[in-house]
Amino acid sequence: MELMGIEPDRLHFSWISSAESTKFVKVVKEVTEKVKAIGPNNHFIKDTAKVA
Amino acid sequence: MITFKLNGKTVQGEEGQYILQVAEKAGVEIPTLCHHKALEPAGMCRICTVELFDGRRTRFVTACNYPIWEGMEVKTDTEAVHAGRKLIVEMLLARCPEVPLLQNLAKEYGIGTPRFKLENDTCILCGLCTRMCEKMGNSAISLTGRGVEMKVDTPFHLQTDVCMACGACASVCPTGHITLEKIREVISRRGSRLIPSEYDMGLKGRKPVYVPYAQAVPNTPAIDRDVCVHFKTGGCQVCTSFCGVDAIDHTMEDEIVELDVGSIILAPGFEPFDPSKFDSYNYAKHPNVITSMEMERILSASGPTGGHLVRLSDHKEPKKIAWFQCVGSRDLNRCDNAYCSSVCCMYAIKEAVIAKEHAPYDLDCAIFFMDMRTHGKDFERFYDNAKAKGVRFIRSRVHTIDPVPGSDDLSIRYITEKGETVTEMFDQIVLSIGLQTDPEVVAMANRLGIELTPGNFCKTDTFMPVETSRKGIYVCGAFQGPKDIPQSVVDASAAASAAGEILAEARNTLTKIPEIIPETNVIGERPRIGVFVCRCGINIAGVVNVPEVRDYAGTLPYVEYISDNLYSCAQDTQETMTQIIKQKKLNRVVVAACTPKTHEPLFQETLINAGLNKYLFEMCNIRNHDSWVHKNNPDLATQKAKDLVRMAVSKVALMQPLPEAELNVNQTALVIGGGISGMTAAKSLANQGYETHLIEAGDRLGGNARRIFKTVAGDLVKDKLAELVQHIEGDDRIKIHLNTRLTSVEGFVGSFKSTLTAGDSIEELEYGVAVVATGGTALKPEEYSYGQDPRILTSLELDEKFMADDPGLKKINSAVFIQCVGSRQPDRPYCSRVCCTHSIDNALELKKRNPDTDVFILYRDIRTYGEREYLYKEAREAGVIFIRHDRDNKPQLRIEDDRIRITVTDHVLQRPMEITADLVTLASAILPNKDESLAQFFKVPLNDDNFFVEKHAKLGPSEFATDGVFLCGLAHYPKPIDEAIAQGRASASRAITLLAKKTINTSGTVAETEPAICSSCGVCVSICPYSAPSFIAADARMHAGKAQINPVLCKGCGLCVASCRSGAIRLKGFDNDQIFAQIFAMTEAV
Amino acid sequence: MSDWEPKIVSFLCNWCSYGAADLAGVSRMEYPANIRVIRIPCTGRMSPKFALAALREGADAVWVSG
Repeated sequence: MELMGIEPDRLHFSWISSAESTKFVKVVKEVTEKVKAIGPNNHFIKDTAKVA
Repeated sequence: MITFKLNGKTVQGEEGQYILQVAEKAGVEIPTLCHHKALEPAGMCRICTVELFDGRRTRFVTACNYPIWEGMEVKTDTEAVHAGRKLIVEMLLARCPEVPLLQNLAKEYGIGTPRFKLENDTCILCGLCTRMCEKMGNSAISLTGRGVEMKVDTPFHLQTDVCMACGACASVCPTGHITLEKIREVISRRGSRLIPSEYDMGLKGRKPVYVPYAQAVPNTPAIDRDVCVHFKTGGCQVCTSFCGVDAIDHTMEDEIVELDVGSIILAPGFEPFDPSKFDSYNYAKHPNVITSMEMERILSASGPTGGHLVRLSDHKEPKKIAWFQCVGSRDLNRCDNAYCSSVCCMYAIKEAVIAKEHAPYDLDCAIFFMDMRTHGKDFERFYDNAKAKGVRFIRSRVHTIDPVPGSDDLSIRYITEKGETVTEMFDQIVLSIGLQTDPEVVAMANRLGIELTPGNFCKTDTFMPVETSRKGIYVCGAFQGPKDIPQSVVDASAAASAAGEILAEARNTLTKIPEIIPETNVIGERPRIGVFVCRCGINIAGVVNVPEVRDYAGTLPYVEYISDNLYSCAQDTQETMTQIIKQKKLNRVVVAACTPKTHEPLFQETLINAGLNKYLFEMCNIRNHDSWVHKNNPDLATQKAKDLVRMAVSKVALMQPLPEAELNVNQTALVIGGGISGMTAAKSLANQGYETHLIEAGDRLGGNARRIFKTVAGDLVKDKLAELVQHIEGDDRIKIHLNTRLTSVEGFVGSFKSTLTAGDSIEELEYGVAVVATGGTALKPEEYSYGQDPRILTSLELDEKFMADDPGLKKINSAVFIQCVGSRQPDRPYCSRVCCTHSIDNALELKKRNPDTDVFILYRDIRTYGEREYLYKEAREAGVIFIRHDRDNKPQLRIEDDRIRITVTDHVLQRPMEITADLVTLASAILPNKDESLAQFFKVPLNDDNFFVEKHAKLGPSEFATDGVFLCGLAHYPKPIDEAIAQGRASASRAITLLAKKTINTSGTVAETEPAICSSCGVCVSICPYSAPSFIAADARMHAGKAQINPVLCKGCGLCVASCRSGAIRLKGFDNDQIFAQIFAMTEAV
Repeated sequence: MSDWEPKIVSFLCNWCSYGAADLAGVSRMEYPANIRVIRIPCTGRMSPKFALAALREGADAVWVSG
């Protein structure tokens, strides 16, 4: 990922069982916070998007 | 047939029709004020004026009452027509300047202030009311006076007896001149009132023609003969002019239909207790004292307040609500219901928690109770959570509710546990009313010759919990005894099984095969997508802007139809959707609603009914994943809903119809566990004609029941158990495998394959369904010096002494029972359900053997639910002493000088007292026989307490989410013998629904290989957990050596797809292009 | 920049995290509205191509949960 210029924090994996709603919410919050911290993704957007 | 020209187009109408009727059919809009479909036209308002050319000249006529004729030419949209209408509106507005209807019309016609003198009337003299009154067969009002004096009035301007206060006039009045208040105060002497809606507990009115509630089956309207005007005067029948299919027949009469049946199941339910008779609660007089049933409606999104929590007197949001428990239950002083209604504690907690959720402010909820009875699965946790959420629990029975003069508030006085008298005010008080049998049901039971219990419930036997006293008649639900939904569902399945057992031979003899709607071939068609956005009452619409999402969907590519529904899952909505799909020729459908995990099958059924393959469908979850979790952020939630809809639309456009594989169901059943519930399940399956294998890990059948002395009804368990075992052993359709364990499970619903291991011998078994009845066991206590003194026993050990008729039991001076040993504590936060009843029964047995024995029961809450309550009363009367303690203040037991001394703080005396005991019985918790290997074999889950998790806590208590695997007995949750037997039968009943089908369809969302691309690497073959892929035989004519996937075994997980190096596998329904479409649609908005 | 909200594509397993998300809804929990869920039958279905495609198309992050 880093080789391609993408911050590793842009890709998250987790394992949550269907009964663990609290964990689900916790992970959503964490992921959102981490992504907010690194800011918008503009390294790897395809050219057309950049033009737009 | 008459042909004429309407706005230049040729139209046709029947002889005798008026212009308006034909115009309506032709889709030409003509405004009206005095027109009503069911009434003769009068031409009063003249706003429907149109231009008529009769061949020679042009005239103006009123469309509503001008009959059509051959060759006429009508224009509805000319300048002259508009000018005429504008003048009429202007004059009417001058007469009635405050009427919103006219104000709106004026705006439409560009009228500011009328040029005429303004009056202050509200009646436009359209005569709808008088004509309607006449149609009602009544003529209580008419147009009186002439010219400018003309008005709607009663004879002699007096209130009249003739008026029935039916409200028809008010319902048609276009301006609001006649209102219900006016009928009450000026017109009628009889006083008008709404017809109370039964569904909304009378909190709302309903019409004489009505559908009882949105989910009613059948979902067709009924006419309430008691209030319908036609049945009073012979008039009206207005409804017939509106029914497009002539379905209404007022002459229908009651008829007696005779049916030839082999068995009857009684499920008449209960009636809620009516607290009006308790004067001291002021229920009948004070609007803010309501019943729990009324509270349910107030909390419901489809209820009278739309789910807004308000009190009834002033529609203000209450700040403090109290619940009073045991109203009409456990009460012989003020009513005759001595039993516990079983469900009220739990529903009161639920209502309090939901009320707190609904209130955007800190709502104070207090529950006044005697014993908190949360004995159901996961109920104790809910109780603990409610406490944590701030619901107050006050152990006190309140006698009186006093209205607070000068306000709508209520004042109560109660005594706290510490003995202090407290006065507290509440905004609203909910009476948690009990369940009782309707007198009509009692009469029916008498007619059928069925015995009832003292509480007027259907009498049943512990070992035959759904059999009434009359052979062939079965019972389920609250008529068998007050009970909650899961237990009612268990009973229902058990009763179905009982009926199925005696009718097994007649199975399928009266089967009718449903019409199969041919599937429309949509391959190659351009997508025509219909998007249905669900409001889910206020669950979605309360947060997400549904119309905005709906309209947004209309802008997306290929979307041909959009709509929003109040409840998309309601049966009538389903039918409408079917019609729309057909009419609009939709070939893809998106439903934006709740979760596909519960509702996808329902909507797929709708597609099938509309002739579409069910995979041409996508659901997007704008409730669970959106409105419910972003309720404080409606804008973002609406944006998210739009994104989700766009993603779903882009995916569904790429969906293809998928076929499903048909699979035979092996007609053999396997039951795991030879206790009471397992044996009952096996017996039921065998009685319905299925070969059943019963495996038991131990060396004999019977399970825990072997250690239980007697039932609550007084029957010896030993005798009944012996009968059951004898039956099982004597039935050659049941193969018993003792000392046997299940050591492997392969396959899937309909064709499982297992290894049964008994010591060294191994047997293979193929079967179609499995019932898990692995049971539970009594906790060996680690407290109260258990194991250190032979006088300290568990409940089952005391039972064993009773069975052995131990003579020592007669010589006891003092016996103590300690409840909740190992239950209802942080590491085991569930109630073991049976121990209160068991201990009280044993206490009575001790008293019976020696009335001089002092018997103490040290408890936290007595949970003798249902008619077990009588036993509690009997024990108190027999002199058993009940002493309550808290979890934090448990009794202390010590052995001193060979004497057992127990110290407990008495809740009445508020001081510690010491008891010297000769016998201590510990009511130890029920533990499940934790079986992780079984859980893995069948891929079924265990909960935190190691009980198995059923498919649905309420609606699927006896089955697993895994198809073909069923559940009963203590493995599900602690329960007494009667409930274990009912669930044993219920699990068999559920299993037979599969067995009886003989074949089942598998999913269409399976993986498929493309042999031409396959490199035969074998990754898919080795990686699949379900062994679905295999190599095509080397000598095959086509594609030898390439991989193929068995669609029956494939669970559609997609593991092979992701791991395929050649890209030769696709997962139908979740194909690459479909997922990419979703990704692209998602990021489109960035 | 302060009002920038990331867009996160989440691939949730139908049986696990998707169920957890449903349950979170039933329990009326609240969480940030940044995620957009794509339901996949199993995380086994997940392919690196999906993650890369999402990032390439402008998603700020990808979250895969089984």
